[in-house]
Amino acid sequence: MKRFRRQLFSGLFALIAATAGALWLNAKYNALPNYAYLTGWALLAGMFVLTIYNVRKKLPFLPLGKSETWLQIHIYLGFFTTLLFLIHLNFRAPHGWFEVVLAWLFVLVSGSGMVGLFFSRVLPRRLATRGGEVIFEKIPALRHALKTEAEDLAVGQETKSLVIAEFYPKRLAPFFAGPKNFWKHLVESRREVSALLAELEDLRRFANDTEKEIISKLTALVRQKDGLDYHRALQLALRLWLFVHIPLTYGLLVFTALHIILVFGFSGGAR
Amino acid sequence: MPAPPTILERPQRWDSAFDADMTDADIARLMATAPFNAMDPKKFPKRTPLREILRNDARVLKFRKGEIIMRQGDYGTSAFLILQGAARVVLKPDLAPSLLGRQATSKKGVLKTLAQMWNSLRPPEVFPRSALAQSSGVSARKSENETRVFLQDVPRILDQHRTAEMTAGEFFGEIAALSRMARTSTIFADSDDTELLEVRWQGLRDLMKYDDALRTHINKIYRERALASYLRATPLFKNLSKEQLDKVAEAVEFSTYGDYDWSGEYKRLAQSGSVRPEKEPVIVGEGDYPNGIVLVRAGFARVSQKFGDGERTLNYIGAGQIFGLNEIAHNWRSKEAAVNFQFSLRAIGYTHLLIVPTRVMEEIVLPSLPKNELPPPVEKVEDNLDSTPPPTATREKVGPEILEFLTENRFFNGTATMVIDLDRCTRCDDCVRACASTHDNNPRFLRHGPSAGRLMIANACMHCADPVCMIGCPTGAIHRESFAGQVVINPDTCIGCKACFNNCPYDAIRMVEVRDERGEFLVDQEMKPIAKATKCDLCVENHGGPACQNACPHGALERMNLNNLDALSKWLKL
Repeated sequence: MKRFRRQLFSGLFALIAATAGALWLNAKYNALPNYAYLTGWALLAGMFVLTIYNVRKKLPFLPLGKSETWLQIHIYLGFFTTLLFLIHLNFRAPHGWFEVVLAWLFVLVSGSGMVGLFFSRVLPRRLATRGGEVIFEKIPALRHALKTEAEDLAVGQETKSLVIAEFYPKRLAPFFAGPKNFWKHLVESRREVSALLAELEDLRRFANDTEKEIISKLTALVRQKDGLDYHRALQLALRLWLFVHIPLTYGLLVFTALHIILVFGFSGGAR
Repeated sequence: MPAPPTILERPQRWDSAFDADMTDADIARLMATAPFNAMDPKKFPKRTPLREILRNDARVLKFRKGEIIMRQGDYGTSAFLILQGAARVVLKPDLAPSLLGRQATSKKGVLKTLAQMWNSLRPPEVFPRSALAQSSGVSARKSENETRVFLQDVPRILDQHRTAEMTAGEFFGEIAALSRMARTSTIFADSDDTELLEVRWQGLRDLMKYDDALRTHINKIYRERALASYLRATPLFKNLSKEQLDKVAEAVEFSTYGDYDWSGEYKRLAQSGSVRPEKEPVIVGEGDYPNGIVLVRAGFARVSQKFGDGERTLNYIGAGQIFGLNEIAHNWRSKEAAVNFQFSLRAIGYTHLLIVPTRVMEEIVLPSLPKNELPPPVEKVEDNLDSTPPPTATREKVGPEILEFLTENRFFNGTATMVIDLDRCTRCDDCVRACASTHDNNPRFLRHGPSAGRLMIANACMHCADPVCMIGCPTGAIHRESFAGQVVINPDTCIGCKACFNNCPYDAIRMVEVRDERGEFLVDQEMKPIAKATKCDLCVENHGGPACQNACPHGALERMNLNNLDALSKWLKL
């Protein structure tokens, strides 16, 4: 069996089994007086294992196993702790500002993780299919080089073309000025760039042979810039979700610690 | 009006002599010395006369007692003849790596491993001053043109190791030079007046070609020292008795194709985009009569088939693999339906071959094979005229696009190539960060490189089967790690000469300017920065294997041996 399919099947099987087990235990024992403590501690243990994946990432020189295995555990345990969270809440909405914030933090951490999982399974394939692989950090420099080249072509000393000189500042300069069409690239829409290319093509009606040659070169530059924007948008999306997932995880841990203190501080010996 | 073309004198073989300072007096002296005094100059063609071979492909070197002439495990391009004085070969036990200017690699201890947590705070490329002192037992001696490493305590070495003396008139290093294999022994000068004639492989090849005595002598050494054991280890000959194996060894012919220094030429061709199989030297042509099987002893060869005006790659074969067995076995079984070679075989870079003649195959080797080990009958190419390439296993495994890509870029040379599946790679750079953390905040590769479809070969040392980077290192700093064969650099003995950097055809070696603990650049007396060669060491000192591979959360990065495409094919299908 192929590895990914095997990972998916074994992970899903474990998740379904654990879910069924947890729901069965919930149905049988949720009337127990200490049940909320039990699910709470189980949830905390799950969150601890989920969090130490980041620690493993920071210590690549230690023989702590493959990150790939850790991620698989992280993903399936993430789903399972979401269920534990619901059981811990007794499938009811939280009340009180503290609980609401804590619950929202959990939802955002889990949700951003799921978005990240979706992105990491879908976007790499799209980047590979598009081609023109580029290192993210080099994109600004490459974009600047394209902008300079386009400027030289359109409004440089040697061009002297009224048709292009009029079109460039209006339509091309803003396009080359910075990253464009982030959301459109994310949803695979090519409407903006197609419209721009069509306008550029339309210019040919008013252009002489020299200008037509410049238009062809500008068209190529627009395509290259669009390719850069595409890589930037998707690579940025592949990074951005982590900027939500990780800081909120720390926030969640702080609130969880406070939650435990409050529970034990105000339980008044009920346990 | 087009500009007139630039007219240059056509480059010739000897435009760049091995040693431009060879004088007529030197040549005259050599011509009076054995074995050259016994050679018949008339047997040499006008284009490559004996005197000119000696003038352009040889140089006279002087060594002082204790200076290392060649190190075990190095890749050399030349052979040596002792003209005067003596040299000593170390037999057993081998010299310790530190005596040869190498690192004695060991896994990091617990404390050193944990200390890496804080090393990421250090400035890049910190190289403690204390490490600049040469390791004990070996020192470097710099002359105007080259650097020599010498053994500091020769009497102790003689006391602790079994050695043998070689005196004037003896040749050594010729097998490694001709077959591009690693040197099997360490040899050092045994007197202060040791004078050697170093002959580069092109010259040695021509001397052997036109002088029967030298050829017979070197072939005899080759058969005695290297061939018998090699054939014994080849599965095709496993059923042969000792007498039969001796007969096969007696009949084997040796051959070399391509350019020994292929890396420079390849870099030039690759930059101009003109790497084409049609330009590679033909070992066997498609349709030729099969007069023997071809065993690749060292280097690589491309199996290709005519397609339109070009050649399409069907496979590449490396050391230990065989070409032509199918046709010869077919003809042996069905003489009435004999076939010629179905495909071409071309040398890629430099290829050293053994050829076992058809007669020997038919009389000795094929009868020894059980029926189920004989290859299936050949389907003639003429019977298969459509444009579909023949179903070779390799081509089917990875697909034609990737096969052509790997061959054109010569990535099959890599035994631990960093392969990235772009369909899975999220470009998170965890691999780069892991590499940097493992190497004191210094990443040793670039997560970028040539790609074909979903496959990218990152710019990281591939730990080549044919490590051209190791040719010419004056101090032996770049070497194969003795245990698992990784190519590593000992920073303590690297003198920053750039030989490896210039030789690597894959641009996997970087020269870095090193700093002290305060982050200040280290400079020499002329205030020039001190540089060291750096590259991926496959985390040889780390527990758990390459950090880059272990750090990839999506299983998108693997260090893979591309000599064999089975692993790549399986991985791509995951």
